[in-house]
Amino acid sequence: MKNSILRITLLVGLLPGLKSYAQNTQIRGFSAASANYSDKKISFGFSEQDVLITSDLTDRLSFLGETVFRFDDHSEGTKFGVEVERVIMKYNIRGNHNILFGKHHTPINYWNDTYHHGKLFYPTIDRPLLFIANVIPLHTTGLALQGHDLGKLKFGYDVMVGNGLGSSEIEDNDKNKSLTIAAHIKPAENLRIGASYYYDIISKGAAVHYHQDDQERHEDRAIDWKTVQNIFSASTAYFGNKFEFLGECTLAVNRTDTTCYQHTFGYYVYAGYKINNKVTPYMRVDDVHFQDGEIFYIKDNRSAFTTGVNYQINYLANIKMEYQYMYSEVTGNRNRISAQIAVGF
Amino acid sequence: MTKKYFFKYKGRQVKLLFSFLIAGLFLSWAAPAISQPQTLTVIRNQNGPPGTLKFSELRSILKGEKQRWNSGAKVTIALMKTTTPIGKSTAEVIYNMSGDALLKFCLGLSYQGNVHAPKFFNTTSELEDYVAQNPGAIGVIDQPLANNDIKIISIDGKSQFNL
Repeated sequence: MKNSILRITLLVGLLPGLKSYAQNTQIRGFSAASANYSDKKISFGFSEQDVLITSDLTDRLSFLGETVFRFDDHSEGTKFGVEVERVIMKYNIRGNHNILFGKHHTPINYWNDTYHHGKLFYPTIDRPLLFIANVIPLHTTGLALQGHDLGKLKFGYDVMVGNGLGSSEIEDNDKNKSLTIAAHIKPAENLRIGASYYYDIISKGAAVHYHQDDQERHEDRAIDWKTVQNIFSASTAYFGNKFEFLGECTLAVNRTDTTCYQHTFGYYVYAGYKINNKVTPYMRVDDVHFQDGEIFYIKDNRSAFTTGVNYQINYLANIKMEYQYMYSEVTGNRNRISAQIAVGF
Repeated sequence: MTKKYFFKYKGRQVKLLFSFLIAGLFLSWAAPAISQPQTLTVIRNQNGPPGTLKFSELRSILKGEKQRWNSGAKVTIALMKTTTPIGKSTAEVIYNMSGDALLKFCLGLSYQGNVHAPKFFNTTSELEDYVAQNPGAIGVIDQPLANNDIKIISIDGKSQFNL
């Protein structure tokens, strides 16, 4: 009896400690369901379910984990796959300077770093073609130094060293490291201007993870040539109370022994106008052009015009309806009408 | 080589941009109505935040742009829920956003890995207690209650403001 009382007393005594560890942990989720009409056919579907966990571990150390459940053609049984998208341990060195370790969204451009899997935040239904065409490396596992909102111009920087393309989540496939250097300024309220540089050497035989299409299907593809990759990106984002603008461009220069330098250039421009707090009509123009002879990417010159309306139900849900015309060198012209409800919870 | 590459598909780009501009002509509508803001007071824990701030500094801090005070204490932000009159005024006056837009902005901060997004409270007494108990905490209420553990931050030289 005395032992039981002692155990209960110890347990109760420990509870406040357990509570203090858990009190700054937040679990969030994001998902979206959609319907689209294309090729005289209506399709319903949902893209993925995203679980985000953030936690303050100490005064300076924090954790962020993001896991996505999505349809996977190659998965056995349920046809769903699980992918860890981010695992980041962040340590605040001093002021607004941090060191981050883990798997990150490569800080190569605005969309990749700001929205990524959070479709609730997307200003349009789908990602720009730059992502779907696999031009930019979406994730990097490695170490990063990050600073933000420094000085009058609110300067920010990211310097990231990672395993690079073709590596697994647990080890590098070769001795080469990828390098990302990104900088941005915020010279006015709601305005952000940034530029970045990415460098990597992808070994012959490396299996590179890539998106198959705009339905979020993923696959690994073996690279038959050693490729030296240099990617330059620039972006301008303005999200004000009335007007929204986001423009990004990327020039990727891939060099192999057989093809020398091959250039791929892509851009997109998004603009929206808030009629009120609920309704934002928008449009977006995309274009991705691969140089003849490109062998690292899957060459498929594409361009698209998208226009639609974003209706905010509240801050946790929105509905978007849009029309998209897309030209693809491989699949030809496509007209599509889509509707999507995106939620956060 | 590079110049030739850039002009090769110029025609298609011009058509795309032209359609983009044409569609832009359809976008022009009225501005949203903003409710009358009430008087706001910025309070602080005794350890960390300074006694005076410019309004632009306050807005920047409340938007999560400062991680630590000069003393080294972590910046923690406490706000009233946007469904309360004080919370709604805070969103409109300081953030220049609607309540929903502020909540989405904070959700975005969390998504981007900023775990120091503001904490929201139902009552001013809860908010004051939180600010009193957490070094580095800063909060916005209408007027301070009798709590000796918190101080007022004067904004542009004023203890209360409503712009």
